[in-house]
Amino acid sequence: MTKKQIMVIGGGPAGMSAAIEAAKLGAKVTICEDKGFMGGQLVKQTHMFFGSQEHYAGTRGIDIAKILTEQIKELGVEVWTDTVVTGIHDEYTVALTRENRYHEIEAQKIIIASGAFENLLPIPNSDLPGVYGAGGVQTLMNVEGVLPGKKIVMVGAGNIGIIVSYQLLQAGADVVCVVETMEHVGGYEVHSAKLRRMQVPILTSHTVTRVDGNNCVESATISKVDNFKPIPGSEFSIECDTVCIAVGLTPLTELLALAGCETRFVPELGGIVSWHDSNMQTSLKHAYVAGDASGIEEASTAMVEGRIAGTHAAMSLGLKEEKANKLIGKFKEQLRQLRGGPFGEKASAGKAALWNIPWDRKREFTSSEPVVVSETGAKAVIECHQNIPCNPCVASCKHGAISMGNDINEKPRLDLDKCKGCGLCVAACPGLAIFIVNRNFGEGLAEIGIPYELLPLPKKDETVLAINREGSVLCEAKVTKVITSKAFDRTAVVYLAVDDKFADDARFFIAKDATKPPLVKKNPMTGDTDVLICRCEDIYQSEIVALIDKGYESFDELKRILRCGMGPCQGKTCQRLILGILARKLGKKTSDLQPQSVRSPVRPTDLGIFADSEAEWNLADWPEKNSEGK
Amino acid sequence: MRIQKHPILEFEKGRKVAFTFDGKKIQGFEGEMIASALMANGVKVFRHSKKLDRPRGFFCAIGRCSSCNMVVDGVPNVRVCVTPLREGMSVETQKGRGLLKP
Repeated sequence: MTKKQIMVIGGGPAGMSAAIEAAKLGAKVTICEDKGFMGGQLVKQTHMFFGSQEHYAGTRGIDIAKILTEQIKELGVEVWTDTVVTGIHDEYTVALTRENRYHEIEAQKIIIASGAFENLLPIPNSDLPGVYGAGGVQTLMNVEGVLPGKKIVMVGAGNIGIIVSYQLLQAGADVVCVVETMEHVGGYEVHSAKLRRMQVPILTSHTVTRVDGNNCVESATISKVDNFKPIPGSEFSIECDTVCIAVGLTPLTELLALAGCETRFVPELGGIVSWHDSNMQTSLKHAYVAGDASGIEEASTAMVEGRIAGTHAAMSLGLKEEKANKLIGKFKEQLRQLRGGPFGEKASAGKAALWNIPWDRKREFTSSEPVVVSETGAKAVIECHQNIPCNPCVASCKHGAISMGNDINEKPRLDLDKCKGCGLCVAACPGLAIFIVNRNFGEGLAEIGIPYELLPLPKKDETVLAINREGSVLCEAKVTKVITSKAFDRTAVVYLAVDDKFADDARFFIAKDATKPPLVKKNPMTGDTDVLICRCEDIYQSEIVALIDKGYESFDELKRILRCGMGPCQGKTCQRLILGILARKLGKKTSDLQPQSVRSPVRPTDLGIFADSEAEWNLADWPEKNSEGK
Repeated sequence: MRIQKHPILEFEKGRKVAFTFDGKKIQGFEGEMIASALMANGVKVFRHSKKLDRPRGFFCAIGRCSSCNMVVDGVPNVRVCVTPLREGMSVETQKGRGLLKP
């Protein structure tokens, strides 16, 4: 059997970071990726990353993918793309298919960074073409350059939902509205502020209750909710051709389960995760987990987790222990910082639950300070009101006018005396939340500098309509200059002259003839209310409920009778929903339910590949192997 | 619909190639995913489910959900969201699980 020192499974941000750190310490690393290219979900992230400058904050995800891929190459990591890991057997054996052959590889250390899968929305007709995962849509438009449709309803106002909505607008689609069950937007305010000023309605305390259409989505029916329950009579429908689902992700842990790693259900981490310690080591000492597979978080934390896993794996091979120990300490501190703000609380709580340690959520942050707009000259105005882990603005200022304490979750502070109003920070802010305001532009006018990432760019002297933070038209405004430069990395800064009474309000603009179609509410659609839960085997919720009513109590029992989880997706789409139904019906916690048994291959694989394999299976071995098992 | 101009991205596409969808000749770019070429041509229904004959299409784009299984060059259950397009491919709407040809 081929032997390898460290096998990394998954070429996304976590896997690549793990491979890089392990290789830096001298380990021989092989990284497997099922697609034809490295980068995982980074390859579709067109926005600038948050986080700390030393971890590529301010750099677009697509460019981080290139940087990491380059580093991997330079470090001599063995890269196996188009390689599908189908299982992990006997704890140390990585089974995979590559170039149409099946291989088994014995690895001293295995780092599993298998990522996550998008959650489904269990509503009537959610299997109709036109209902797509938000991540899937992001891949389609940002990697392939194809739009899923023209009129889009986004379900979910977490960071994924609002970022993908913004990117759909950038790509030229109309986002009809964003629907969010919670009373408030879950993602960063700076992201939702972009949508608001671009006139996209964000309907909080609303949910999509059904979609309808003949063969494809034609409408979404939306209802107000009270405490997550639809309010009868409040429903209306909206015409659309696409419904994008951004209601969270579930870690993909089949390989970890197959390897024999202990798994737990931790809702804060997104579902069933492999148990791991702070070194990302699982219950099997030679197996590590990193990134979304260890709990759903941002790519910035995934990269640091990968670094920890890679460093620890190399160290436990006996490589450069002293240096590795120091690095791990540094990475852990970075993780603590990234999770240190209010948006990191969920993950912190999840990890605390995993480690059975008490978690103290109360940490005071500075409250929102009023935005200071200088009375003289052009100055930056920083409209960043939440404690988010992000600091590119600090480094962008060549005059030292923007500062932050030691914690990257602090809000940036602006020293008006030092600010020259140059606009570098405007283009550097990943949240597009910094503006330049000069309220004394002359002749009763104020000049506003606005970060702008849309096409077409306006021309100097063009008359546009100035827009406020809520997307309402304020007045006509003249474009005074449009600045693009390499240093601005594809973010333009557009300056407008507006009536000076709008200096504190004008934060965006639209073309003079641009119109955002109003939200037209139509009568709600009605019809069959049963929900298709298992899409592979066509199994309705009513069938599952009927069996539970008969006394069946586990996923595996339901699976044996209904075949749910036995189709080509192998339960990736339905397991979460079915465990939820079981928990509700039985009055149990999901964490007390047994997930389905995982079997390899964990991806659909042609049988012919196994027939023509290098695996050392000899029929003569079978009686011996069987007797070992008894 | 293809994105014509994008403020951040430039799409590097392979050469334009012809392929067939249910026997009809359409065009896409070599190397892009079959699903993308179909969606760019306005095709949204990729298969019909086994038991209930419900239309299904694209969903996850990462080869995990198998919603996009189609018959490609006579082989059923091909996940077209992760299978690159080649010139002259025959892509067909899949009925149920599809049929393996002997």
